[in-house]
Amino acid sequence: MQTLTVNGYDMAYLDVGQSKGPPLVCVHGTLGDFRTWNAVLGPLTRKHRVITLSLRRFFPEHWDGVGNDYLMAQHVADVIGFIEKLNTGPVDLIGHSRGGHIGFRVAQARPELLRKLVLAEPGGDLDPALKQEAATAGFVPIGARMPMAMEKIRSGDIDGALALFVDGIDGDGAWARLPAVPKQQLRDNVFTLIGQVGENRKPFAKSEAEQIRTPTLLIGGGDTRGALSVIWRVLAEHIPNAKTAVIPGTRHWMFEHAPQEFCEAVLDFLAA
Amino acid sequence: MQTFRVNGYDMAYIEVGEGNSGPPLVCVHGSLCDFRIWSAVLGPLTRKHRLIAVSLRHFFPDHWDGVGDSYSIAQHVDDVIAFVEQLDDKPVDLMGHSRGGHICFRVAQRRPDLLRKLILAEPGGELDATLDPAFKPGPSPLAARIAASAEVIARGDIDGGLQLFMDALEGPGAWKRLPATPKQLLRDNATTLIGQMKDQRPPFSKADAEAIKTPTLFIGGANTKGALPQVLHTLAANVKGSRTEMIPGTTHPMFEQAPQRYCEIVLAFLAGA
Repeated sequence: MQTLTVNGYDMAYLDVGQSKGPPLVCVHGTLGDFRTWNAVLGPLTRKHRVITLSLRRFFPEHWDGVGNDYLMAQHVADVIGFIEKLNTGPVDLIGHSRGGHIGFRVAQARPELLRKLVLAEPGGDLDPALKQEAATAGFVPIGARMPMAMEKIRSGDIDGALALFVDGIDGDGAWARLPAVPKQQLRDNVFTLIGQVGENRKPFAKSEAEQIRTPTLLIGGGDTRGALSVIWRVLAEHIPNAKTAVIPGTRHWMFEHAPQEFCEAVLDFLAA
Repeated sequence: MQTFRVNGYDMAYIEVGEGNSGPPLVCVHGSLCDFRIWSAVLGPLTRKHRLIAVSLRHFFPDHWDGVGDSYSIAQHVDDVIAFVEQLDDKPVDLMGHSRGGHICFRVAQRRPDLLRKLILAEPGGELDATLDPAFKPGPSPLAARIAASAEVIARGDIDGGLQLFMDALEGPGAWKRLPATPKQLLRDNATTLIGQMKDQRPPFSKADAEAIKTPTLFIGGANTKGALPQVLHTLAANVKGSRTEMIPGTTHPMFEQAPQRYCEIVLAFLAGA
């Protein structure tokens, strides 16, 4: 694959399409990789140059879970370094789930690197002030399942660990219902869950959201439950002039469930 | 994407894995697909192999308008040969699915010097009278379906054309039942059916099959219906020394339905003497 060496690590990426405008850099979430965006590459690359990267330790690396550089701060520094190395000027950034968390942190730390920001159900915790707003909406963090999932990985029960995680996000039976293709792509990244258990990422703070200056679109699945359905709505309340879009009939992997509708929302926002 | 200039066209490909055990594995997709079709097998196959998945001329990432006559088996065979010739590490292992299997068969026929091993996953095509006593010359039954679908697509009704095609291939309701991601990948390549409508590929003959000298593995889905299993078993019976593996519980996209089993079979074959 094509790679850029960032902070001592060869970050792999796929680079599709051409455009005179800024490239659209796509950052996958937990257990994802550059392939996460397969379903949206077609519609998005008609007018945009789309760059889908794999974060440190994700496929195409076959990581064994050993080492302590799987950290939110490291991934944020890596995405910043990646955009700098691209050397195209400000980019549009889209992040899903954990990748949305990363996108938010990049916008906070280095707004001059971004033109527009799309956060698709960003993951993370909320600080006490934001949590209070969210309490009425039923905030249930998914982190509680992570140590159990890790135990299963250590005992060799890869599919059991993934079932815990996926069902924790999209409801009981979600893993079993997944087609074999997305299942295998999650398996290819299962060891990154070991990295994620102890990383203790900082919660989103109200003041942080208020300081985002990049024009931002937040996208959610209409049927997503739990924390992930709440976080983006709370952030949207505090990011100045944030736009929102709900994709009906979809859950957390909304762009795989309804790629055309998702792309429409993104393309409208990028063109506006 | 990474590209090689072949026969005047920038052919896109993705290259994954270091491959410290043998030559690269070059993968050729079938009708309506592109390099992304191999996503489900990339993980298991790249642990020990360098894998190169190409997109044939006019498939995504190209956004083709369907105009011109440079979409054909003959052109695609020329392109794959020119592509492999440019690789630094030859001979290569070559794997093709469906129409891509047809292409790889023709590559093996013409340029055995470029190949170490050959994997054909339900290759598409017709059998001539030397392989099938029931053979009738003229367009195959599939050709009429492709033409009907391509006309709808050329009118701009992408989903309508794909529904016609998929339902003809896999039975009524097949398009509707497909999950959204595979549906979208087919949409991204829908205009290639316009090219395929005009393509006149010759059928396989007994002499063609007997000319294959590359060690060959055929892989099929045990539940695949229609002509594909007949073509597979007939070719397998005539390609000397070839092996056949049928994967239980799967149909034509067998490596998407059972990626782990598929990869086990491929890896064992590549590792074998």
